[in-house]
Order: sequence, then structure tokens, then C-alpha cells
Amino acid sequence: MSESGVYLYAVSRGLHADDVDGLVGLQGDPVRVLDGHGLSAVVGDVGLDEFGDEGLRRNLEDLAWLEQVARQHDAVVRGVARRGVLAPMRLATVFLNDDSVVERLGEWGSALQRALDRVEGRSEWSVKVYVSLEEIEAEGRAAAHSRPAGGGAGAAYLQRRRSQITQREDALGAASELGDSIYTRLAHSVAASRRLPPQDRRLTGHEGTMVLNAAYLVGHDDEATWTSTVDAIVAERPQARVELQGPWPPYSFATVEDV
Amino acid sequence: MSQEPELVARRERPSPYSARPEPSNLADILERVLDKGIIIAGDIRVNLLDIELLTVKIRLLIVSVDKAAEMGIDWWKNDPMLSTSAQEVAEENRRLRERIEELESGAGEPGDE
Repeated sequence: MSESGVYLYAVSRGLHADDVDGLVGLQGDPVRVLDGHGLSAVVGDVGLDEFGDEGLRRNLEDLAWLEQVARQHDAVVRGVARRGVLAPMRLATVFLNDDSVVERLGEWGSALQRALDRVEGRSEWSVKVYVSLEEIEAEGRAAAHSRPAGGGAGAAYLQRRRSQITQREDALGAASELGDSIYTRLAHSVAASRRLPPQDRRLTGHEGTMVLNAAYLVGHDDEATWTSTVDAIVAERPQARVELQGPWPPYSFATVEDV
Repeated sequence: MSQEPELVARRERPSPYSARPEPSNLADILERVLDKGIIIAGDIRVNLLDIELLTVKIRLLIVSVDKAAEMGIDWWKNDPMLSTSAQEVAEENRRLRERIEELESGAGEPGDE
């Protein structure tokens, strides 16, 4: 076993040692709580052969390693989120020892407290909207057919070609407007929201085109209202297939970027 | 309360924070643990900027292969198109690294060795 380091999963406050009971860290060691400066750091020991400068440089380029670490990091974060407010750290935040973690809690104390205040009593919900561009295009075509076409055969051909191109553009425009309108409607009903880049279907395997990938910060007490707001918006827009997931730990909202 | 459940595909409900370690797809997890989450410089200094770089690589990866399961080690290195982009990113990465070193030399001490 090489020298060991301390991996920081998340920062919380008021955690007890038994709040992390049963949580397993990245290399199979139990997860621990370190207290300092009014904050609780959720940490675990990791070998520096794997998580030191050299190891990380090598391992971050190995997708199988990355996936396993990302999933385990997420599992610990979710485990802690069941127990209290938390701010997840970026993947692979590694220190040389416990003292160094506590020292850093002191340096970042007020920013971390503000981040925790922002997400306390709230969870992240993911809303993804998918459409079928072909369906939207077909609707556009049906509408175009009802319009009379003037001129001879050549003109009709050109008009048809032109309208095929226009229909594709129109469909893309309509799809993106649909995503925008759903995002905005939902954003009005919650504490905070963020748009994330749409995911590619080759990684997710989803069908159709993802026109919205958004995160919303929703109060625990507002979840019933939130889900019925989503239901109502979905009912108004039959072309959209909406995927609602949550509650998740507040990854997208526990930030210190505005400090 | 949960009328018309067929309209909205819901996972993970009603139990909050499913105890299963893999409730989300890989894209959901990676975009959050690599792209979100609080950045505090650890003692292992390599991680921050390499992760910035990695996030970009993941994006490139997502548009360059069919399935995550098919990816191997060095998945972008053998692709000239991706390598070129990766070099540009590395250049940007180096500039950022210098900038951060500059900032840090003015601010707090970088912890023990």
C-alpha cells in the first residue's frame, strides 16, 4: 500500500459519525466525518498511487476507472444527502491529511456556509424534454399541403424542395422554442434553475432529440406542487416527452462561484 | 396527486435518494460530478485543471463513439480529429494553470508538502 491521502466527497454541517455509517468509500474503506469551523467534511482514505498527481493523471484518462469513481462518489454524496444538507465537491478533491482538510474548511468557511444555506431544505430535480423532429416536420407538412400551389410543374418542384428545407428548419425552431418555453415556465415556480447541455443519445440511448436538459432547485415542502406543475405543463404540450427525475443531491446549485 | 403518470416518465420516486448506487445514467452522473460540485483546491494540485480538460474530452467523447460501453483506454488519443482539439484544450489548460499559479502566489499558502 502506498502513502495515503484524504478524499473529500462533500461538506455538510452538524453531521454525526453515525450519519455516515455503512457508506463505503472509493477504495472500500469506511467514510468518515471531520468537524471543523462549524462544518462537517465527509472524507475517506485513498491510496496516493491511485489518487496522487501521477495516478490521477493516468487514471482520469481511463474511462472504466472514471465511471467507477464517479458512481462511487455519487453514491456517497447521495448517502449523506439522506442525512442532511450538503454541498458536493468536484470529483477528485484530494488532500494529504485530515489537518489539511480542516484547514481548508477554515479558508472557505463562509463561502461554504452560504452554499449550504442556498440548498438547505431543497433538492435538485432533473427535467429532460425530448421531441421527435420527424413528427413536428410531418405536422408542418400537413399544414403546408392545405395551402394551394401556383405555377407549372417546375415551379411546383422548386417550391416543394424549398418547403422541405423550410420544414426542417421550422421543425428545429419549433423544437427549440418548445424546450425554451418549458424551461422558463418551470423556472418561475422554483428557487433556482440551470440549463445543462443536452445529452447525446449515443451515450444515453434515448429516443428522439433532447431539447431541454435542465436542473431545478425545489424545496422539500414544495415537491407536490412542483410535480403537479410539471404534469400541467406536460399536458399542455403533447409533442413533448418529458422525463422528470429526482430528488437528487443539489449538485448544480451548491456552488461558490458567485463569491 | 400523481394523476396521469404515463405522461411523465419518473424514476426514483417515491423514495427520495434511492439507496442504489446507480440510479442515474452515466451522462447524468458525469455531467454533475465533473462539471458541477464545489471546487476547492486540494493538496493534489493536478486534479482541477485536468478535470476541466477531462470534461471537454468527455464532451468530445460523447459525440465520437456509439456507446459508452465500447470505450477503451486512450479513446481519444488515436483519433487525429480529437487529438487536435485535445491539443488546443491542453494549450488553454496550460494558460489557466499559469493564471492560477499567479493568483495563488498572491493569495494563501498552498498547504503542506
